[in-house]
Amino acid sequence: MENETSHTGARNANAGSKLSEYLLTAPSFLWLCVFFLIPSILVFAIAFRTADPSGGIDAGWTLSTIENVLKNSYLGVLWRTVWVSCAVTAICLLLGIPVGYWIALQKPKYRYWLLLVVIIPLWTNFLIRIFAWRVLLHPDGFLRQTLLALGLIPEDLFLLNNIGAVIIVTVYTCLPFAILPIYAAAEKFDFSLLEAARDLGATRFCAFRRIFLPGIKRGIFTATLVVLIPALGSYAIPDLVGGVDGEMLGNKIAIKASAYRNLPEAAALAAFLSIIITVPVLLFLVKQNKLVKSIINTRRSAGDSTK
Amino acid sequence: MKKYITVCAVALAAIAGALVSGCGPAKPTLNVYMWSDYIDLDLVREFEKQNNCKVVIDIFDSNEFMYSKLKAGGTGYDVILPTSYMARVMFEQNMLEKLDHSKLPNIRFVNQKVLADLAIDKKMEYSVPYMLGYTCVAYNKDKVGKLPESWDVFSNAKYAGKMTMLNDHRETIGAALFFLGKSMNDTNDADLAKAKEILLKWKKNLAKFDNELYKVGIQSGEFLIVQGYSGDLFQVLAESPNLAYMCPKEGISMSCDDWVIPASAKNKELAYKFIDFLCEPKNAAKNMEFTCYSAPIPEARKYVSEENKNHPGMFIPDDLYKRGELIRDLGADNAKFNELWDVVKGN
Repeated sequence: MENETSHTGARNANAGSKLSEYLLTAPSFLWLCVFFLIPSILVFAIAFRTADPSGGIDAGWTLSTIENVLKNSYLGVLWRTVWVSCAVTAICLLLGIPVGYWIALQKPKYRYWLLLVVIIPLWTNFLIRIFAWRVLLHPDGFLRQTLLALGLIPEDLFLLNNIGAVIIVTVYTCLPFAILPIYAAAEKFDFSLLEAARDLGATRFCAFRRIFLPGIKRGIFTATLVVLIPALGSYAIPDLVGGVDGEMLGNKIAIKASAYRNLPEAAALAAFLSIIITVPVLLFLVKQNKLVKSIINTRRSAGDSTK
Repeated sequence: MKKYITVCAVALAAIAGALVSGCGPAKPTLNVYMWSDYIDLDLVREFEKQNNCKVVIDIFDSNEFMYSKLKAGGTGYDVILPTSYMARVMFEQNMLEKLDHSKLPNIRFVNQKVLADLAIDKKMEYSVPYMLGYTCVAYNKDKVGKLPESWDVFSNAKYAGKMTMLNDHRETIGAALFFLGKSMNDTNDADLAKAKEILLKWKKNLAKFDNELYKVGIQSGEFLIVQGYSGDLFQVLAESPNLAYMCPKEGISMSCDDWVIPASAKNKELAYKFIDFLCEPKNAAKNMEFTCYSAPIPEARKYVSEENKNHPGMFIPDDLYKRGELIRDLGADNAKFNELWDVVKGN
């Protein structure tokens, strides 16, 4: 594969590229430190400060906020936040994968038009689109009245102000972000592999599941992250289309910070949320990293053996 | 590349434009921080003309948000409009200017009765009352008929999923306390426990706890019965003849928003003039007809158009006035209300 001279050349270039790599990552690293790492650390720190009853942060340190948050057991809200987000992610993947697959199969000149169709809704403000959904799902609206006339839903079922509405609208807002990375991965996928699988006797579905899906794994992973993380932190959608029992962790954080004038408790809940998000992602990344390394290693050894 | 150059050029032009306009002839500027749709802009223009100044209005949507912004070091406001209880908190935190009454000749028009009955700052030491409002219930009379005047409407399962209450723990817990025949500022544990049961019962019939969407919702038929703020509801009622309102006999919460001058204000002279300007009966009348809330300036009635002379939002009838109670800051007892609200909303 590679001859000896290029190996040594690569080694020399390596030192230089290391430096340029650091230089290249420095701005984004700095950016992340200032706008992500430091604020996150502050949020974690505030969770251990005492609250002053007029809404500020006192000088003291305390563990009681954390205790309170644990004692008050936000398990219900937490559970709702997690299951709603997981449901949203699953639905987005179920819809996003076929769409991404289908767009990638089209002729290039149509693909861009189709992508445009996916992106166009994003040109309209997020809140306006949620309000549009409120019109669409209105009790006297076209959709519910049609479903009622067809006898598909009972008289006392409302489409708005419940957890179902939260899921539908969140799926709607997140779907483009699921389709795009899946499409990007599918576009690079070599579709002749599917034909090869068919030739070797795989059914259409089997080929899709065992060849296509692993082939666009990266895209699916990215799609999962970009849907799951915003869904876990969602606040506006449960507030606008959710009902009396539709609150998610984001809404709890908001009410603590504003109406209750208790910043440490808000910070504790926010810290809680970031842990929920970060830990699984980190675990996944570590696993992924090991996987990538093992793939590289096996490829290398395979390369060596062919030499 | 060309594209990026164009983008940069446009950005630079925008920045340059902002700089140039910022350096115009220096007119004094009054920075106002208040609630939305709460002042007649014609009046603001008139004030600008009279004083050869510029008025900049910045909006907040909750007292707590405004307070935390100021606490976090937000300065630059010359006059702010918090609700009475929050004005008190700010005063106790030394955030407010003590008012010099010699600069406010028009505050002689302020209703002494309102000050004595309702105001927290009875001597107008640090605040001047601007508008009084109350919480009541609006309903769709075509669909539900005439409703009895009681908070008990929310226990009617017939309208389940078509009613809303405010997403404000002081208002909802207050309504339940009123229903029990108590004060909305009651902090007795036994009463609060009973209030919790009532709220949990009401909650089963509610579509939402909401502060904003109910206005459109009741107009569009999405909701049939809503708890809301008087001025907002009267603005809606004026547009929809099929709606009616009622004020529960057990009691209603009243709130008053007060002008205050923060200690950090840069343009205090203009701030005094602004407050004084709005206390002038003629201007108060104009403002009332715009907002549908009640300015505590009895003289203003003279200048209000004939059809509004008995408007229940602008001139609160005596029997309603007697039912009203002001939300007070409960200090450390706020935590009780917060905890109760957490339970009602479900953790």
